[in-house]
Amino acid sequence: MPSDPTILAFDTSAAHCAAALLSGGRIIASDHVDMPRGQAEALFPLLEGVLGDGGMTWGDLNGVGVGVGPGNFTGIRISVSSARGLALSLGVPAIGVSALEAQAAGIDRVVVSTRAAPRDGLYFQIIGGGETTTPILCDLDTLPPIPARAEPVCIGARARDIAVLCGGTVGHPRYSLTEATARLAAARLHSVTDRPKPLYIRPADAAPARDAGPVLL
Amino acid sequence: MDQTITILGIESSCDDSAAAVVRREGDARHILSSVVLGQTDLHAQFGGVVPEIAARAHTEKLDHVIEHALTEARVKLTDLDAVAVTAGPGLIGGVMSGVMYAKAIAVGAQLPLIGVNHLAGHALTPRLTDALPYPYLLLLVSGGHCQFLIVQGCDAFDRLGGTIDDSPGEAFDKTARLIGLPQPGGPEVERVAEGADPDRFKFPRPLLDRPGCDMSFSGLKTAVLRARDDCVAANDGLTQQDQADLAAGFQAAVRDVLAEKSRRAIETYLAMKPVKPSFAVAGGVAANMTIRAELECVSANSGVGFTAPPLALCTDNAAMIAWAGLEQFEAGKRDGLDLSPLPRWPLDHRQAPMLGSGRKGAKA
Repeated sequence: MPSDPTILAFDTSAAHCAAALLSGGRIIASDHVDMPRGQAEALFPLLEGVLGDGGMTWGDLNGVGVGVGPGNFTGIRISVSSARGLALSLGVPAIGVSALEAQAAGIDRVVVSTRAAPRDGLYFQIIGGGETTTPILCDLDTLPPIPARAEPVCIGARARDIAVLCGGTVGHPRYSLTEATARLAAARLHSVTDRPKPLYIRPADAAPARDAGPVLL
Repeated sequence: MDQTITILGIESSCDDSAAAVVRREGDARHILSSVVLGQTDLHAQFGGVVPEIAARAHTEKLDHVIEHALTEARVKLTDLDAVAVTAGPGLIGGVMSGVMYAKAIAVGAQLPLIGVNHLAGHALTPRLTDALPYPYLLLLVSGGHCQFLIVQGCDAFDRLGGTIDDSPGEAFDKTARLIGLPQPGGPEVERVAEGADPDRFKFPRPLLDRPGCDMSFSGLKTAVLRARDDCVAANDGLTQQDQADLAAGFQAAVRDVLAEKSRRAIETYLAMKPVKPSFAVAGGVAANMTIRAELECVSANSGVGFTAPPLALCTDNAAMIAWAGLEQFEAGKRDGLDLSPLPRWPLDHRQAPMLGSGRKGAKA
């Protein structure tokens, strides 16, 4: 396998359909279309378009990078199912990359990475500098402690508010979501063996049955 | 036709993740593999299938199930002629996951893609198992659907009638919950009903007084609830005998309605003068032996051949999707990579909708 692998990365974890093709260490084609729905229909035509723009075919890929969220549940599943299907049919690895990691990619500092969750919530993770935490769901009032000595860079939803609260600065992602996903997938191509899984963070909305049923004698 | 055709089928429209490989060699039909991974345990505490939980499971199980089906069939993706997938109707999260897997396999293995209607899968199963000639009469009776169809071709269905509210499968599940039995309710109700008294409770036979083949099962559920409440009030709980008699009475009511409506559907069908008159039953409720036996009886009395697929092909599976895909592939059907997963997709699109409306469209 080449040291600079060819990776197709894609993401539908929010109201968009996006892809980037990494080859020879640089992005040779990409596309991003905003859409509130319709990703299931749009994704594969868009991927074929990006491959074509880069002068590549499916058989040229060394791996697939996929955005696993957190974000829209249905959107995440569209991409993860596609990536796992491609791994099966192409015989190449599919690598899951979280949007929180992707935002922090290529930034050599401690990053407080956040993404908007429903009902004013935040998906939250501290990344880098030996401080990396597990991604969680919280809100501005329930932020976990952020080490101020790390002088964190805050990136993502409510970054300005979080920076004020933790004495950090506001930063911006170095790469687009799909470029970061492609670069992180390339870096992990030979080390990751797990199949990509959605990063839901929130449990499924489901309440146990209310009607308990009759007493059986 | 001497040509050999091999199709991979994928099904994920409810709570079974399934994949199968089906091959036709001349007149011979082979199910090379049919793998079904259920989710009963995941949904048990919720008293029914939770769509979000089902969708999560399909996304992380389908590739394993597909690999298993290919291995068991001893075929590689390059041996396939096409990939067929349930594109609806069903729980949309699961359907979507299956459709994306199928698209990924189609592009990666350079195979044609065929989106199959889940109901067409059930409806065409008698052709996989018994090579039934068109046109045949079909009673499709499952957890989500109940309708009489004249199957004219692999993509041509005439609906004679159907339920105007709930499906019998849904009513079986609800009855099981009401009388303290676990899910899925169909086999449980059948099990406890055995040997019990079906006449102790007088349950209604809805819509038998009306002409035509339309059915209703929601009032029957209410009648079971009332009868159960009476039993509970009398003894501060439900005895085993109550439970068994309620199950038997309910099952007999469903049996009688399906039998009488089948009689009428057969009459309409015979007026078409089919060359080899055949009545087939498909869907999960067709696994109920009491109902099956009665329908067989109705069929015999009308001089019509009766077909019911083996139990494993009555409940959800991917062999039926692969087979329907195979027939449609031979008929020239191909779908593009923009294939839409559909929550609703009536089989007979020429008739006015009888159930469901609004943004999602007609259910049946």
